[in-house]
Amino acid sequence: MSDPQILVENILNALTAGILIGCIYGLMCVGLGLIFGVMRVVNFAQGDFLMLGMYAAYYLFTGWGLLNFLGPYAGPLLAAMLAGPIVFAGGVLLHRFIISRVSGLRTTASLDEGHFGQLIVTLGVSLILQNGGLIVFGSSPRSVRTPLSSSAWVIETPFYDSLIFLNKARLLSSVVAIAVAIILYVMLERTRLGRSLRAAADNPTAATYAGVDVDRAHRIAFGLGSGITAVAGGLIATYISYSPFAGLDFVIIMYAGVVLGGMGSILGAFWGGLTVGFVQQFSGLILPPQLQNAAIFVVFLLILVLRPQGFFGRSAERA
Amino acid sequence: MLEVTDLAVSYGGLRALAGVSLVVGAGQFVTVVGPNGAGKSTLFKTISGIVPPTAGSVRFEGEDLLAMPASRRAHLGIAHVPEGRQVFKAMTVRENLEMGAYPMAGRHAWVRMLDRIHTLFPILAERAGQFAGTLSGGEQQMLAIGRGLACAPKLLMLDEPSMGLAPAIADLIFDRISQIHREDGLTILLVEQRVAEALELCDRGYVLETGRIVLEGPYEILAGDDRVRRSYLGLDDA
Ligand SMILES: Nc1ncnc2c1ncn2[C@@H]1O[C@H](COP(=O)(O)OP(=O)(O)O)[C@@H](O)[C@H]1O
Ligand SMILES: [Mg+2]
Repeated sequence: MSDPQILVENILNALTAGILIGCIYGLMCVGLGLIFGVMRVVNFAQGDFLMLGMYAAYYLFTGWGLLNFLGPYAGPLLAAMLAGPIVFAGGVLLHRFIISRVSGLRTTASLDEGHFGQLIVTLGVSLILQNGGLIVFGSSPRSVRTPLSSSAWVIETPFYDSLIFLNKARLLSSVVAIAVAIILYVMLERTRLGRSLRAAADNPTAATYAGVDVDRAHRIAFGLGSGITAVAGGLIATYISYSPFAGLDFVIIMYAGVVLGGMGSILGAFWGGLTVGFVQQFSGLILPPQLQNAAIFVVFLLILVLRPQGFFGRSAERA
Repeated sequence: MLEVTDLAVSYGGLRALAGVSLVVGAGQFVTVVGPNGAGKSTLFKTISGIVPPTAGSVRFEGEDLLAMPASRRAHLGIAHVPEGRQVFKAMTVRENLEMGAYPMAGRHAWVRMLDRIHTLFPILAERAGQFAGTLSGGEQQMLAIGRGLACAPKLLMLDEPSMGLAPAIADLIFDRISQIHREDGLTILLVEQRVAEALELCDRGYVLETGRIVLEGPYEILAGDDRVRRSYLGLDDA
């Protein structure tokens, strides 16, 4: 093996790994972006919804083995997708009883638009989920391991005959992540429900005049945002191991992605997450793992300075 | 059709409306005029349920509006075209109209109403795919009215549709409103500061000053009233 071959192979594999992990990050960011975009609520518990998705997938596939019969390909993926509706239901209840008290029409008139209350409440929810998770799920690391987690499809490239390794679990997870993001996007753009969510985000008062129950729209958005992020959690669970505090590692990534993509844009949130995946994998080529999050932040700050509205930030007229 | 009785509203102790009563009969064109800050928008917001009153009642076709959530009104057939247009800026013109047709009645009448809206405001057909935030003020007003019509309403409430528009555009908007009333037989409640134009259109008018109705009656009576002529129509009795 020659040196250029190793270099090219490293770069190509960082690129692929960046795309694969980036798609999952993109999906988590979409969940956070949906909640922020529709409700203007900064949700610090988003990482913990991700964690709940991981555990939902764990119990469905590995823990209780309900989906074992589907085999190593479909089983974990279906478990990840089922984490969505489960956490959706939790998100809806959480909004109904807690979040709605510090958000929505009742707070838009207040000076800080309720952000202070939201910060305290979502941080509180986050702490409860983490410590509750510790009690219920225990502290030993879990993962949704299948034979796929450690096997890869190998692609030969014409560049110095270097090889690209496509981890099977990661590839399948990314495909599902893209599919879920597209379904959500089409739902928001093309359906009556999606339009009403966008209208409620755009102008809550006018949406009310048009007949939209804005509180209900927020509840649905909160549930969907939680559920989408939970699916991402279930997908990533197939190749990492995690504890009830796993959300903390990802909440930074999600915020970086959503801000990069321009707060409030679904497509932007996905690209933002993808970018974070790239930066993380590429910085892994030259930096020790502990500094990868630092690299994300450096790029994040650079983009904020150079293009504060994010890649997909709305232009002034659209804001 | 719409009956407002002894309505009182205050914003944190500051009285904005006191003892306001008003009736709109089916098929009528009713106008409320009054200077800036008189409480016209407050009256509309209270009818639409986003400002809670301290006293009084609001009934629509016999139903108690104050007992139901704000979003129900569109489903009952009340369209509120708010002050300052309030279009959905990040949505296209077409999507704004589709949002107007959100209630069941609007969905059923979609094809007919869209056609009607495009006849009244052809520019909205030309601009169908454009984001509403990029329209001019006049076009946004047309869109806001179109969005109101899209739910195939029984009552169309318009809050200062001429606000901030060039006189020629404002005249066009008034023409269209009058046309909607005449040709579609739609019941209209209009709030305006441009008193002369607004009174000319209406069957009945109310004059609202600092939260109270100071005068009401048919057009001929209002237009003949000395006070209205002097303070609103800029006419001298001489
Ligand atoms: N959200 C609010 N909070 C406090 N005061 C308000 C609010 N909205 C309107 N007001 C006050 O109520 C009065 C009536 O306002 P408004 O209904 O907007 O009048 P108009 O539409 O006739 O110009 C004004 O004195 C205004 O300052
Ligand atoms: Mg007003």
